[in-house]
Amino acid sequence: MKILIIEDEPSLNKSMADYLNAQQYLVEAVGNYEDALEKIEYYHYDCIVLDLTLPDGNGLHLLEVLKKNFKTDGVIIISARNQLDDKIKGLQLGADDYLTKPFHLSELSVRIAAIIRRKNLQGSNTLSFEDIKLEIEGKTVSVSGKEITLTKKEYDLLLYFIINKNKVLSKNAIAEHLWGDDMDLADNYDFIYTHIKNIRKKLMQAGTGDYIRSVYAMGYKFGK
Amino acid sequence: MKLFRKYNRTNIITTIIIFIIGSIAFFFVLRYVLIAQMDEDLESEQQEIFTYTKKFGHFAPIIPTKDQLTIIDSTNTVQHKDNFYSIKKWNPLKEKNEWFREIDFIVTLNNKIYDITVSDSEEETFDLLKLIILITIAMIALILIIGFFINRIILNQLWKPFYQTIEKINTYHLTSQEPLQLEQTSIDEFNVLNNNIAGMIDRAQHEYRNLKEFTSNAAHEMQTPLAVIRAKLDILVQDENILSNNANPVQSIELAVNKLSRLFNSLLLLTKIENRQFDLNEQVLLNDIIETKLSELSHLISAKGIIVNKNIEPVNIIFHQQLADILIGNLLNNAIRYNYELGRISITLTKNEFTIANTSPLPPLDNTMVFKRFYRHSGTKQEGNGLGLSIVKQICDTAGYQLHYKYYSDHHVISIIF
Repeated sequence: MKILIIEDEPSLNKSMADYLNAQQYLVEAVGNYEDALEKIEYYHYDCIVLDLTLPDGNGLHLLEVLKKNFKTDGVIIISARNQLDDKIKGLQLGADDYLTKPFHLSELSVRIAAIIRRKNLQGSNTLSFEDIKLEIEGKTVSVSGKEITLTKKEYDLLLYFIINKNKVLSKNAIAEHLWGDDMDLADNYDFIYTHIKNIRKKLMQAGTGDYIRSVYAMGYKFGK
Repeated sequence: MKLFRKYNRTNIITTIIIFIIGSIAFFFVLRYVLIAQMDEDLESEQQEIFTYTKKFGHFAPIIPTKDQLTIIDSTNTVQHKDNFYSIKKWNPLKEKNEWFREIDFIVTLNNKIYDITVSDSEEETFDLLKLIILITIAMIALILIIGFFINRIILNQLWKPFYQTIEKINTYHLTSQEPLQLEQTSIDEFNVLNNNIAGMIDRAQHEYRNLKEFTSNAAHEMQTPLAVIRAKLDILVQDENILSNNANPVQSIELAVNKLSRLFNSLLLLTKIENRQFDLNEQVLLNDIIETKLSELSHLISAKGIIVNKNIEPVNIIFHQQLADILIGNLLNNAIRYNYELGRISITLTKNEFTIANTSPLPPLDNTMVFKRFYRHSGTKQEGNGLGLSIVKQICDTAGYQLHYKYYSDHHVISIIF
């Protein structure tokens, strides 16, 4: 899976590249409009992470270029501008998602995974970890072929964990993923614990291992 | 005091003083002229008597008229008087005392000396004087009254552009997107005034917009460094050796980044609402929004054991979907966050009014402060940036809704009147 990161802030660019690299993506990163234009004209990417405000051009133009060349690369916009019209314009020009800065890398990763899944409909639409299997279409979960029932939030959380497996995920990142950033997240920390307790119980009842680990009271890690 | 009244007062007082002084001077001059005229008459009478006696050797028969008396007395004094004076004496024809102008002189006839007094009544002269003075006063009064009204009408007319300008400035807001329109007048002074005011407001507006833009840009610019901090933290926490010793600071940094990001977003939102970047032209089902928000927040409500009383009618208004979401969301969030365990929230929605009331450990809040930016009651323990209600206020102001806070039987009540 190939990903192109277009972000002019080098430090943020590198962090995203490092995080996504560690998730088995092939990552290329550029820091300006010119380089980005060259890349998207010559290569195909499964997903492009696009910052709208570039020093030498507007990211929205790159979307127009993609559209004009009938490119089907998935695009997620990352912007400091939390502006509805930018968002609408971006989505109209063919972007698949819109993420406002500052965001968690784990959130970016989940969004990218969702875009890539949607783009590759011919591929298997399932996600698995050990003996746990998620049917993305029907939003169902099974352990060793036996279906278990999760609530919507529990399913979201499990999907998030599996995509960001082996990563320490802070309570803050989890809360933001589950409830969005409109809410005061600290209010929700207790509910994360409740949801995780429920997921763990349901998974273990179905006979799989305990993959969720609390990390120094600041977050959780999903992995073997 | 109004300029007109002040001007008029000075004007009228000066005019009256000038007229009084003028009238007095006029009276004396006129009187002097009239008396001189009488003296001349008396003198010619004297000449007539002299001539007549010289020619005929006796006095002319005296025919008394009601205005002239001639008295001839024989005397021994040779003293030559020959002067004019005013005297009050009996007028036998009119049978009353009157002022007379007299001349007293000596005539020698047939070696006899006669003292002759010729008196002319001043009565008629006085009457004339009175009449003239009366007419003068009437004229003065007429001039004053007419002047007053003419001034009043003209000044009112002249000052009209001034009052129009004042009225326009009074109702003009710097936040307004349209420039201040001041009409050109036919009076140069007012044109100068209007041009200067328009110029000043233009500059103020420019400064204001710059400040706004700065706020907005600053908030934008800070999101990228915040994104860097967040991304670096996300990477940092992957190293469990670091995390084992620094879990607390890392979590604090996370919360601080969150808080900053939310703060900037709130400031940006406020600026956007102030700049009227939202068109209020969407059909919004308020009751739906309330139900949706309640279900989104249901986990927080049930965790605190809060009882919610709803009295909601279907209400469809012309508004903005996102702003309505924010409005209802902020109010509900507050009602939950600042509530106590097992507290109550009651929500009422009618065609004209939305009211949300909640219990809280906080005492009644200061009505003048509650919607101010960054205001937080000193007893508040919960997190929050103090912008939630300011945003609500700004949204209501933009939409022209009235927003009220009151404390009523242990409930903090916020109502919006559409």
